[in-house]
Amino acid sequence: MSLDEKFTAIRKGLLEFLVLKIIAADQVYAADILKQLNATEFATQEGTLYPLLSKLRREELVNYEWQESESGPPRKYYELTAKGREALRETQDYWQKINTTVKNLGQK
Amino acid sequence: MNKVITINLNGVAYQLEEGGYDALRAYLDSAARPLEGNPDREEIITDIEQAIADKFRALLRAHKTVVNAKEVAAVLAEMGPVEDDSASAASADDTTGTARATAAHGTTNVESDGVRRLYRIYPEGAMLSGVCNGLGAYFGLDPTLFRIGFVLLAMLWGTGVLAYVIMVLLIPHAKTSAEKAAATGAAATAQEFIKRAKAGYYEGMKSFRDKHARRAWKRKFKQETRSWKFGFQKHMHEQSQQWEQQWQGPWVTPPIAGPVFIAPLLSLLLLVLVICMFYAIYSLVTAHAVFGVVLPATIPLWVGLIIIIVLYQIVSWPIKVLRYSCYHPGTYGGCGPGPFGGLFGSLIGLFFLGFGIWMLDRHVPEFHEWLVQLPDLLHRLVDTVQGWFVQKGNP
Repeated sequence: MSLDEKFTAIRKGLLEFLVLKIIAADQVYAADILKQLNATEFATQEGTLYPLLSKLRREELVNYEWQESESGPPRKYYELTAKGREALRETQDYWQKINTTVKNLGQK
Repeated sequence: MNKVITINLNGVAYQLEEGGYDALRAYLDSAARPLEGNPDREEIITDIEQAIADKFRALLRAHKTVVNAKEVAAVLAEMGPVEDDSASAASADDTTGTARATAAHGTTNVESDGVRRLYRIYPEGAMLSGVCNGLGAYFGLDPTLFRIGFVLLAMLWGTGVLAYVIMVLLIPHAKTSAEKAAATGAAATAQEFIKRAKAGYYEGMKSFRDKHARRAWKRKFKQETRSWKFGFQKHMHEQSQQWEQQWQGPWVTPPIAGPVFIAPLLSLLLLVLVICMFYAIYSLVTAHAVFGVVLPATIPLWVGLIIIIVLYQIVSWPIKVLRYSCYHPGTYGGCGPGPFGGLFGSLIGLFFLGFGIWMLDRHVPEFHEWLVQLPDLLHRLVDTVQGWFVQKGNP
């Protein structure tokens, strides 16, 4: 297995965390999220992203509003809720903890 | 040369080669399967279809009106398979979450008697606590009407604020989907619908029978009000003549009590506010945004204008009151500091408080975070108070 394949599960697990981070930085369209992720190792597809966004909205971590556009139908404009910010902070702290563990394990 | 099949993706027609259509059909069918238990299934599929439509549109030109099979395959490969591992998790846990989602899509679970109840609807489309939202759903009107009503009431010595707070505490919060459907009065079954139609017909029949009595009553009522009107007008005439005879002297500006510079300062402040209001109106009309705050698409322009004017009235009212008190010292005192300056002091205090909060919000991030959470906290508080009330009623 190549390194990419070994880390597939980790990338999948981190996806929700990263999506929350992207939405926290700014209000975005779903297409923007894909564009940002596709520039990294976490490239993903619509088929994965839309159900994930739906789940986040159901858990009230994100919210969307319909934005009209002249060229085409209205699109969903996503933003983070207060609950989402809280969840992001918790996940961030947990990620920091894991990071420190990974760094310090094995060192004398 | 191949056959072309026209499909509809969210209201726009696309022409696909036959092979491409088959591939797309297969993709969408296999996309629906993992979403079986998902309450947002239709919404997700709509989003996916929209994304596919966007990619198709990017491929079409004036001279190229058909998406061929190879391009369809490329688009579908880009979309990727639909994965939903949350379906099983969602159905197992958090029933309130799924109940909310079903309600959001306006399905099933209705009160059996189809009676419309008054609920607060929060958080779907609510501004503060869903009071106006619930009222709008109950009466079938736009909630904005009720919001304006409350703001206008609030100008009458704050009765609007009091009424709003009372409503927040008393009107229950529509949590389950059954309650939400009842809030909009959905008739459950066909039987219910037929029963209602019959009832309305009999109501009409009843008033029809009393037509003659109603007409006689209306005539008498009009006669009485007319006589009242004439009597009142005569009385007013006499009064005004007396009043004119008694009124004498030119109009004199009453002396100003307290420091002399306060009153003109307040007038200047009012002038600044008026200029701000006109600027806000201008920017709203031209750019649909005021000071960088964009007008949501659901609020029409004229409502935005009314909101600006109302806001101006609210902000300028205390300043006007102060200015008045400067000219007419009395129980509310003059406009300077000292024993009567309480009103003045409180206004300045309010101003500094507001300014302080704004500065803190901008420069201290933790305060900003806390402020953002404040509405949530308030809602939880209101829910606890309501819960406590309900408990007291059911020991």
